[in-house]
Amino acid sequence: MPIDMKEILSIRGLSKSYKNVTAIQNLNLEISEGQAYGILGPNGSGKTTTLSIVTGIIHQDEGSFNWFGKHPHANQRKKIGSLIETPHFYPYLNLIKNLQIICDIKGISYKDIYRVLESARLAERRKSRFSTLSLGMKQRLGIAAALLGDPSVLVLDEPTNGLDPEGIAEVREIVIQQVEQGKTLILASHILSEVEKICSHVAILKKGELLANGPVKELLAEDEIIEISCDRNEELKGKLEGSELVNEIETENGLLVLTLNGNTTPADINAFAFSNELVIHHMLSRKRSLESQFLELVKED
Amino acid sequence: MRRLLHIEQVKLLNYNPFRITLGIYFIAFTLGLLIYPAVDKEIPVISLSDLFRFPDVWMFLTWVTEPYNVLLALIIIMITTKEFNNHTFKTQLIFGLSRTELLIQKLLLIVVLAVFATLLLGLTSLTLGLIYSYKITFKIAMENTLILSRYLISSFAYMTMGLLIALLIKNTALSLLTFLAMRVFVDPVLFLVLREYEVKWYLPFRTTTRLTPVPNLIEIFQKKVNSSETIDETALDLLPKGLPIWLNTSLALLYTGLAIYFSYRLIQRRRFT
Repeated sequence: MPIDMKEILSIRGLSKSYKNVTAIQNLNLEISEGQAYGILGPNGSGKTTTLSIVTGIIHQDEGSFNWFGKHPHANQRKKIGSLIETPHFYPYLNLIKNLQIICDIKGISYKDIYRVLESARLAERRKSRFSTLSLGMKQRLGIAAALLGDPSVLVLDEPTNGLDPEGIAEVREIVIQQVEQGKTLILASHILSEVEKICSHVAILKKGELLANGPVKELLAEDEIIEISCDRNEELKGKLEGSELVNEIETENGLLVLTLNGNTTPADINAFAFSNELVIHHMLSRKRSLESQFLELVKED
Repeated sequence: MRRLLHIEQVKLLNYNPFRITLGIYFIAFTLGLLIYPAVDKEIPVISLSDLFRFPDVWMFLTWVTEPYNVLLALIIIMITTKEFNNHTFKTQLIFGLSRTELLIQKLLLIVVLAVFATLLLGLTSLTLGLIYSYKITFKIAMENTLILSRYLISSFAYMTMGLLIALLIKNTALSLLTFLAMRVFVDPVLFLVLREYEVKWYLPFRTTTRLTPVPNLIEIFQKKVNSSETIDETALDLLPKGLPIWLNTSLALLYTGLAIYFSYRLIQRRRFT
């Protein structure tokens, strides 16, 4: 991490279990200013637990975390806009009153309420009771509440959960806008494409453990895979296995699927085959998508 | 402080069950002004209105209206468990209230309600006293008004116990039942079981109810008939002596302090998911 980037959230050795279930185990994570950090993992991988701990609603068993380089304190949360799981408000209060309560908590003026309702396209429903909103509207109100006071950090836990495709697109649009404005985003999701579309960085969790983390682009670029085929696949496979060009070879539907080693390019493979008097008649670069990596990372050992 | 109280105000003044229960409380309380004199006509020898004269009116109404504090405690239980049901403690936490502030918020509300209850009692007693007293001097009228401070403590004590139970149990119906069971069942039964022992006076709910003891009705009525014959009320077991007032009051305060302490511990540890 470049030194000039300000630390926003730093998690060290965080662990939490519920009775017999380990929710997260020795989690370490550093999130810097301006990053859009995706926390990706299947259901039950510890994403919500992690975010619940850093937003103060549950206590960790072990480890610690710092916000803005300081010990956690309630006042820091006033500078963070959070939506953890489903948004919860007073069902019998209208949207304005519900948001007024949050303004009071954060110590900010009520003037911001109309702006955030507008950006969540809820301005027309501002006088409706929270209980009368549809699921999607409730979720959008949760986002609106997180945006109150224009916080520099957003913590969103599955913000598109339970929304219809239109709602998903709308929420993503709002979140992307915030990221473009330079906000720091911490986004938990089990939807890979969501993280790919929104985030610059990603941490992949599985059963409470951090499997991999880093810039989305780097994780995408790792290990180029190509598929090839020639007249004598088995012979080529044997020769390639003896070379240092590939890490792994698999046969798939009559094709050889090669995981290239470091600096090897597809041209090197072609040249290698030719020098061995084998003519490759099919070669296709499979840019390894994050999705297949994700599925691979999280699949059962 | 004001910020926390304002948040509570927005939540509650728009919450119908709260408005209705508080309304019932208010009506029940002030209805006494109309009902007591009406009841009076059906009791021939002694007159209930004797109880509404200064300075006895303070003691009498304090005793009579003590059960209304139970209603206030039920209100506290209702609104606290509701915050768990609606997961709104969670919302308030993630937007920047501390756990301690969550507790202070409820304690402030308890103080406001206790003061409100005491003022209501004070005004009701004053009104009835002014109507029914033959002779009103400032000295007579103000005698016994110190009992209002004990009523304030009683009200506060009931509500903090309600708060503790609500934070412990979280479920509305179960919390209400537990509180009522403690007040109307557990405490009287324990009191009966321990009747031979002095410790019976040290039970938490007992010290609270004894803050506003049964007034010496016999003495009041004797004053009326000018009887020189004195009756030993304790022999009749009409007026159990109990602990000295100062000790009883200190105990009630101690229990209230413990309730707040345990509420604090609970709120610090709870998962607010």
